[in-house]
Amino acid sequence: MHLAHQLVAGLDFPTLPQQLVNGLLLGAIYALIALGYTMVYGVLRLINFAHGEVYMLGAYVALFASYFLGFNPQAATTPVSTAFNLLVMLAASMTVCAIVGVLIERFAYRPMRRNSRIASLITAIGVSLLLQYGGALFLPNSPPPSISEKVNPYSQSKFTVTLVPPSPAAVEKAAKARPEFEKLQKEFDAYLARTGESRFDLSPAGKELRQRTQDAEKTYGDAQRAVESGGIRLIIQAGQLIIFVTTLILMGLLTFLVLKTKQGRAMRAVSHDFDSAALMGVNVNSIITFTFILGSALAGAGSMMNATFLGTPLTTFYGLQPGIKAFVAAVLGGIGNIPGAVVGGLLMGVAETLVVWAGYSPYRDAIAFVILIVVLLFKPGGLLGSDKVEKV
Amino acid sequence: MFWIKRLLSIILAVAGCYAVDRIATGSLDSYGQRLIILAGLYVTLAVSLNLINGITGQFSIGHAAFYQVGAYLTGYLSVTFYAKSSLQGIPWLVAMVLAGGVFAAIAGLVVGLPSLRLRGDYLAIVTLGFGEIIRILVQNNAKLGGSYGLNVAPKFQSIWLVLLLAVVCIAVCRNLLKTAHGLPFLSVREDEVASLAMGVNVTKVKVSAFIIGSAFAGAAGALLAHYEGFITPQTFRMDVSFIILTMVVLGGTGSITGSALAAVFLSYLPEYLRGLKAAGGGPLTVSGAGVIAALLATAFAVALIKRIMDAGLGSPTRRGLTYLGILVGGIVAQFVLSMGLSAIKPLAAAQIEAGQLRMVIFAVTLIVLMLLRPQGVFAHHEFSWDFVKRLFGAKNVKTTEIAA
Repeated sequence: MHLAHQLVAGLDFPTLPQQLVNGLLLGAIYALIALGYTMVYGVLRLINFAHGEVYMLGAYVALFASYFLGFNPQAATTPVSTAFNLLVMLAASMTVCAIVGVLIERFAYRPMRRNSRIASLITAIGVSLLLQYGGALFLPNSPPPSISEKVNPYSQSKFTVTLVPPSPAAVEKAAKARPEFEKLQKEFDAYLARTGESRFDLSPAGKELRQRTQDAEKTYGDAQRAVESGGIRLIIQAGQLIIFVTTLILMGLLTFLVLKTKQGRAMRAVSHDFDSAALMGVNVNSIITFTFILGSALAGAGSMMNATFLGTPLTTFYGLQPGIKAFVAAVLGGIGNIPGAVVGGLLMGVAETLVVWAGYSPYRDAIAFVILIVVLLFKPGGLLGSDKVEKV
Repeated sequence: MFWIKRLLSIILAVAGCYAVDRIATGSLDSYGQRLIILAGLYVTLAVSLNLINGITGQFSIGHAAFYQVGAYLTGYLSVTFYAKSSLQGIPWLVAMVLAGGVFAAIAGLVVGLPSLRLRGDYLAIVTLGFGEIIRILVQNNAKLGGSYGLNVAPKFQSIWLVLLLAVVCIAVCRNLLKTAHGLPFLSVREDEVASLAMGVNVTKVKVSAFIIGSAFAGAAGALLAHYEGFITPQTFRMDVSFIILTMVVLGGTGSITGSALAAVFLSYLPEYLRGLKAAGGGPLTVSGAGVIAALLATAFAVALIKRIMDAGLGSPTRRGLTYLGILVGGIVAQFVLSMGLSAIKPLAAAQIEAGQLRMVIFAVTLIVLMLLRPQGVFAHHEFSWDFVKRLFGAKNVKTTEIAA
C-alpha cells in the first residue's frame, strides 16, 4: 500500500488527458508506418527492415519539396496557398516513397523470394544500412533551419479544450481577490502621484501601503494559479490535428482499397495463401508491387507530416527509431493484421507518452521493446493476430 | 596418446599466442597492435555469434548487447575493486575476462529463454530489442557513467589474452561440432520438430547455445573495456551487432573458419580504407559520382550474374569465364558511368573520404552476398588438414565429413 501510494503520489493526474491525447497523436504516426510493415509481412512473410529508411527519405523529399516551393510561413499568406503547398509536399513524399519502395522490392527482395526467410531478412538489413549510410554521403544532416521551424505554418496556433472546469470555489476566490488587488494598486499609484515619492524610496506610510498591495497581489496570483491548474484541459496544436485527420482519411482510403477493390481482394488472397492465390490466377508480382506502393506511400505521408508539423532534426537515421517502434507496434497488434497495426501503433504511442508522463523519459525508447517482449512471450501471435503454430 | 595430444595443443596455443604478442609488441607500432587486438576481438565475437546463428540456427541480431554487458560490468568491477584487490596485473584481467563471461552468460540465459517460444524473425527482433534495452539502461545509469561513458581505471594491453580468447572460442566451437555434444545443435538448426521427436532436448540446446555464445562475447567485452580504458554506450550501437552479423554471413553461416576469416577481413577493411592516401598525401577521396557509378555498376553486374546462375546453362568453366567477363565489364562500366555522372555538378563536387564508405561497403556486401551466395563464402565448409593434404596432391586421404 505504501509503495503504491508513493508511486501514485509522484504523478501529475490533471495532465494525464493531455498526455493521452499526445500519445494518440504520436501513435497515429506509428500506426501509419506500422501499416507498411504489416502489409508487406502479410504478403511476403518478410520483415521489411528498409521501411524505416523509406520513411526517412519521405521526410527529405518533403524538405526538398518545401524548399523548391519557396515555402515558409511568412511567404504563404493565404490559407489556400498554404494548404496547396502542404498538399504538394504530401503528394511528393508519397510518390517518391512509393517509387523507392517498389524499387527496393524489385531489385532486392524479388530475387530473394525463393531463398530462405533469414536470407531475405539479412538482405532487408543490408538495404536498410545502405540507405542509412549511403544516404548520409549525399543528403544534408539537419539542414540549417529545422524543417518544422521553417515550414510549419501552424506552429503558433493551438486549440484549448476545457474538459473539467476549475472548481467554482477557486474561481470565486480569484474573482473576489481581484477587485481588492486592483483597488489597492490604484490607491498606491494615487499615493505615489500625490506625494511625488519614488517607488523605491518611500516614507513609512508608503511602505505600509506597498506591502499591502504586494500581499493582495500575491493572494490574487495564488488564486489565479489555483484556477489554472485546477481544471483539466487539452491543448492541441493545429499541426497535430492535421496529422490526426489526415491519418484517419488515409486509413479510411486504405480500408476501402483493401476491402472493396479487386486489387485489395487479391492482396488479401495472397496474404492468406501465396501459392493458392497464384494458382487461382492472381498476378502475385503485381499484387506485391501494389502492397509496397501502399505501404511506402503511407510511410511517406507519415514522415512528411511528422517532419513538417512536429519536427526533429533530420538525419539519415531519422527513420531508425520510428521504424523499429512501428515494427514493434505491428508485431504487438499481430503482424499481417491491418487493424492490429493501427491498434498496436496507438497503444505504442500512448505507452510511450505515459512513460514520459510518469517521469521516466530516459526510458521512452526502451518501453517499446519491453512491451514487445512481454506480449510475444504470452501471445506470440500479437494482440489481434492468430496463434499459428509453425509447421514443419 | 589422446590426452598428450590435447595437452600439447593447449600448450602450443598459449605459447603461440604469447609469441605473437612478443613479436607484435616488439615490431609493430601501437596502431598495428590495436588492429591485431580489434581483429582478435571481432574473431571471438563472430565465432561466438556463429555458434548461435549458424550452428544452432537461432537468428540473433543483438550480439553487441552481450559484448556491452561484459565490458560495462567488468569495467565497473575494476574501477571499484581493483585498488583493494590482492590480484594485480594480468591475473586480475584474467579474472575479469572470466567475470565478463559469467555476466554475459547470465544475460544470454535471459535472452535464450524467449527463444524457446519464438523463432525466425520474431526472435531476431527480440534480440535486437534486448540489445537496445541494455544500451538504454546503461545510458541512464549514472554509476556506469551514463551517456558520457565509463573510465576503466587499470588499462591492460595483452594481445596474447585476446588471441587466446579467440583460439579458445574457436576450439570450443570446433570441438562441439566434432563431438556428439554438437550434433543436437545441428539437428535443432535443421529441423526443430524432428529433433524434438528424436529425443533432443531442444530447450537445453537453444539455451546453452545462447549461454556459450554470449559468454564469449562478454569475455571479449571485458578485454575491450580494459584495453580501451574508456567505453561509452555508443561503442555498442546496433551497427556493431550488424557488423558482427555481416562477418558471420560473409564467412558462411555455420562455418567457424569462415566467420573467423571474415572477421579478420572485415575488421581490417575499414582501417585499410582509412589508410588510403591520395597522391597529394591527404586522405583519398572519391567523388559522389564515382560512388553512385560504382553502386549502379555493382547492381547491373549482380543482376546479370544472378540471371546466369539461375539459368545454370553451360559448363562451370564457361560460366566462370562469363562471370569474370561481367566483372571486368562492370569495372569498365563504372568508369564510363562515373564520367557521365560527373556532368551533374553536385555529384562531381561531393567529395567522400574512403573511410566513410565503411558501412556502405558492409551493406553492399550483405546484399550482394545474399543475392549471389546466400550460404556465404565458405558455406558450411571448414578448414581441415585433410583438405590441405589433398590440395598438395596426396591421394586417398581419409575424409571425415561431418553433418554440417
